Amino acid sequence: MRRALLLAAAVGLLLLGLYPRVASGYGIRFMLQLFMWVALAQSWNLISGLTGYVSFGHVAFFGTGAYATAILVTTHGWPWPAAAVGGGVAAALLALLIGYPCLRLKGPYFAISMLGLNEVMRVLVSYFEGLTGGGLGLSLPTLYASVAIYYAMGLAALAATGAAHLIITSRFGLRLMTIREDEVAAEAMGIDTARYKLYAFLLSAFVPGVVGGLFARDLGYIEPVAVFPLAFTITMIVMALFGGKGTVWGPVLGAAALFVFQELVWARFLYLHQILFGAIIILVVLFVPRGILGVLQQRYRLPRYV
Amino acid sequence: MTAGADGAPILEVSGLTKRFGGVTAVNRCSLALAPGRIYGLIGPNGSGKTTLFNCITGLSARDAGTVRFRGRRIDGLPSHRIARLGIGRTFQVIRVFPELTALENLLVVSRGEREAAIMRARELLGFVRLDGLASEFAGNLSYGQQKLLEFIRVLMLDPALILLDEPAAGVNRTLLNELLTAIRGLRDEGRTVLIVEHDMKVVMGLCERVFVLDYGEKIAEGPPEAIQADERVIEAYFGR
Amino acid sequence: MSVLITPAMVAQVVVSGLLAGALYAMVALGLALIFGVMRVINVAHGTFLTIGAYTTFWWFRLLGLNPYLSLLLAMPLMFLLGMVFQRTMVRRVVNAPELSSLLLTFGLSIALVNVLQLAFASDLRSVEYLTGAFVVGGLAFSKSRVVAFGFAVAITALAYWFLQTTRFGKAIRATSQSPEVAMVCGVNVERVHLFTFGLASALAAAGGSLVAVMVAIQPEMGQVYTFKSFLVIVLGGAGNYPGALLGGLLLGLVEQLASLFLTTQLSEAVAYLLLVLVLLVRPTGLLGGRAT
Repeated sequence: MRRALLLAAAVGLLLLGLYPRVASGYGIRFMLQLFMWVALAQSWNLISGLTGYVSFGHVAFFGTGAYATAILVTTHGWPWPAAAVGGGVAAALLALLIGYPCLRLKGPYFAISMLGLNEVMRVLVSYFEGLTGGGLGLSLPTLYASVAIYYAMGLAALAATGAAHLIITSRFGLRLMTIREDEVAAEAMGIDTARYKLYAFLLSAFVPGVVGGLFARDLGYIEPVAVFPLAFTITMIVMALFGGKGTVWGPVLGAAALFVFQELVWARFLYLHQILFGAIIILVVLFVPRGILGVLQQRYRLPRYV
Repeated sequence: MTAGADGAPILEVSGLTKRFGGVTAVNRCSLALAPGRIYGLIGPNGSGKTTLFNCITGLSARDAGTVRFRGRRIDGLPSHRIARLGIGRTFQVIRVFPELTALENLLVVSRGEREAAIMRARELLGFVRLDGLASEFAGNLSYGQQKLLEFIRVLMLDPALILLDEPAAGVNRTLLNELLTAIRGLRDEGRTVLIVEHDMKVVMGLCERVFVLDYGEKIAEGPPEAIQADERVIEAYFGR
Repeated sequence: MSVLITPAMVAQVVVSGLLAGALYAMVALGLALIFGVMRVINVAHGTFLTIGAYTTFWWFRLLGLNPYLSLLLAMPLMFLLGMVFQRTMVRRVVNAPELSSLLLTFGLSIALVNVLQLAFASDLRSVEYLTGAFVVGGLAFSKSRVVAFGFAVAITALAYWFLQTTRFGKAIRATSQSPEVAMVCGVNVERVHLFTFGLASALAAAGGSLVAVMVAIQPEMGQVYTFKSFLVIVLGGAGNYPGALLGGLLLGLVEQLASLFLTTQLSEAVAYLLLVLVLLVRPTGLLGGRAT
């Protein structure tokens, strides 16, 4: 069974790798964004799906990565792949700064502290105009690199999913889950929950940082509102929840399903689309709190690597 | 406060006090446990037994007093450190990890090499005859099975001192006997056990020495037979 | 940043802070009630405020209704709407892990905000009703803020009176402290939940009505009030109802003081820092509340 799955995965990867040769510009950008959402949903899943600590401001890491990358490219002349990694590092540093104090807080208080993070980052970015161009935004040197970014995003999505697999099937992942299940009991069993939460948080911030940087490079121009939109956090959350919080392929499924839906059906009706997203969150929380794959995993006792 | 003929006490609690607002849950409690014995902690409801456990294991911060484990002060340490030092505990209300399988529940506790840990976990599961349910989610297990799981989970820590909070609660006769045998086995391995219990038969039959708490204060200690006859104890349970 | 701080400025700031603070306290009391009674974290609280603001705006625009009169109508309306939300959705996440109530109310908030966007677009609206300021001893206070203060104090006092003296109010407080014991004492906990959510929503809507006269109305305006309400709760202590009052006043003061030295935007960042600081140093709130 496992052999068959691996073979299918390999074929899938090959197809995705060859895709840009046959696809149109729109097609490439479509998949590029899909990869981005897979990576984002996976990263949210890593902290919130596994540990149960809800990160409402997760897009703050995306935006931070976007700006860090843009600044590295424009002011310091870094090549964009390196700059994107730099974006990831910047996001991870922010996570360290915020996470170290805030993860000590109990679940609901942590969530509250995360509510404001996104807004604060947006405000700070607007304020430090000299560095970031403030409200006028930041322009990157023109570069047509859609295909390269396609591969980069694909790599990010792959890495995020690979990391999810490694983590969820390891004791590290199990320990993260105990934090969600019963933090007090976890502590009593010798698990240093503070440290594990921090590790998960740092990891979960790195990927959005990188992806934010790639996004900035792809767009060529960023401004605070564009890279710190609350809508992104919502979308990440819906995708991870819908597909299966706490599973490896749940975020992939959720991202794919909802992104396709979004592009093909709802992109025309922005507000209606958002209302539906809100409704989906409500429905998932009430009826399928573990998400599709989560429910299947429970019902059919599927292994952890699903 | 006898240390026993075996040498230094494994656990020494001195003047432990814990207040919750206006209520003093534990009041200058002192006790000492010699290694390799089974001790009982009894007292009417609300006498502070679980609070005492919480203070020893670092779940609650004590207001005054010290706790020494193997001669070293552990009060003020975070509970995961205390657990790693060798004190394990179970809870009054079972706290297994419901969405992890039985095997995973044990695995998360282990340190060291994964394969060895899995083997040890399976061994313990076999010990309480739960090995058939290793891949079952802990939340789906019956009450008795969860109780056993919580019990062996503590053993994954390889603890020198084990605090059991009402291990007999809600457990049928057969299972109870299994647990008691297991507890005696732990003692024979050289571990120390402290049990909070309401079931007097269990306490009398199992414990070598008993501490009695009332309103957070230790009012008596001694061998079970002496405790049974102690006037203060009788008054605490019935005299009010 | 060398600003000369005169005593007059300080007085202005302090009074302004208190004026705003009472409003925060009233809205935050609602949030505190929901959390205290049902252990639910209502991320949609600010959106209820927004609904209050919009109802006031439309009644003013379409019917010429005095906004302060419409407050008296918006409150019962939101009370009922709140009960509907509670009955259909919130009921299921009461006493559930926080993740559930957080996400549920989050989804509700998103849906509501975008319904408002769909219905009214993001054009800025305002209620031009009470303009101008009272001038007292050289200090100027905008009339709408003073009136808002008056209403906020009255409504909050009424709410406290209700909680303290009436039987149902005591039932609410009892449920807040221990639902199981309350049930055993004959309290209909389900009804308490229903009523509390309605009451809390009404308080938020009242805030919205008052705020409608003072600031620009747009669908996402509630977000900042949600955040501020949480800040108040954190300052005053979760589940500590008098604490919400103190926390509100404190927030108002800190905000005004901060704006003296910083831009308004940065003072938001300051508020955030304050939140994190208080959460870390005294998570049970400055007055001491429940430690969850």
